[in-house]
Amino acid sequence: MSYAVWTGVTGVFRRTALPLASYYVVTLALPLINGAARSDSAFVKHALVVLVVPLAVIVIAYAIGQIVRATLTNQDTGRSPVTKSRPLRRSL
Amino acid sequence: MCEPAARAAAVGESVKTKLLVVAAAAVIAWGLKRHYADARPEDLWWILSPTARVVSVMTGATFTLEPGEGYLSRDRLFLIEKACAGVNFIIAAFGMLVVLLLQRVGSAVSGLRLLGVSLLASYAAAVVVNSVRIGVAMRLADHPIAPSMFTASDVHRIEGIVVYFGGLVLLHEIVRRLDGRGYTAGRRP
Repeated sequence: MSYAVWTGVTGVFRRTALPLASYYVVTLALPLINGAARSDSAFVKHALVVLVVPLAVIVIAYAIGQIVRATLTNQDTGRSPVTKSRPLRRSL
Repeated sequence: MCEPAARAAAVGESVKTKLLVVAAAAVIAWGLKRHYADARPEDLWWILSPTARVVSVMTGATFTLEPGEGYLSRDRLFLIEKACAGVNFIIAAFGMLVVLLLQRVGSAVSGLRLLGVSLLASYAAAVVVNSVRIGVAMRLADHPIAPSMFTASDVHRIEGIVVYFGGLVLLHEIVRRLDGRGYTAGRRP
């Protein structure tokens, strides 16, 4: 995984850390404290889904955001973002 | 009192106020959870009734209160029951907003304001997000798209997680922007 992608993904995880923590506390921590894992074996399967789906949502949303951004940038300029950011020799 | 001592006293007072706000938020969240655990569907009218109304507007279905059951749409054969109330979403959103805005608390008045605003915002968000979740669930019930590896129940569960978590992230972003603090983590200066 390239440095830019890695930085982007960690940035998105940092950005969503508080909603993610709030969600996990209410859906996982509180039922665990109340003994849901001991009394209900289905809870373990449910907990796995609850644990994984938000993480998958974050990664998929990031990937879609990057694709949309890249597409819009290319449509706006007709060139790649790299070409756009390169200074013009004439203006020097 | 010399200046450093006065500043230290002010900081100590602010920390004490913040701790009191966190304790009050925990009591409110616990009270909500207890109320939800003991409540009949009729007792949850304050969240189920507005949710049923918004879902009606979104989907065109008509919901009526069935005592002991919840809000039933006879034409769509769909029941908004106690488990659909979204009380857990209110608790998650309320806790998230209190933590997010806690650094704004400097006095008892601002602490009370934070608790009130967070509670109202989480309630409003819960009605909207829960209505979206139920609306999508009704759509999925009418037009099942369950891939072979998932049951309809799995799809319903995943849909609930995606909408609830997405709602929390959206609420978080909206409040951050309204609070005037653009998030810069992960970006290079």
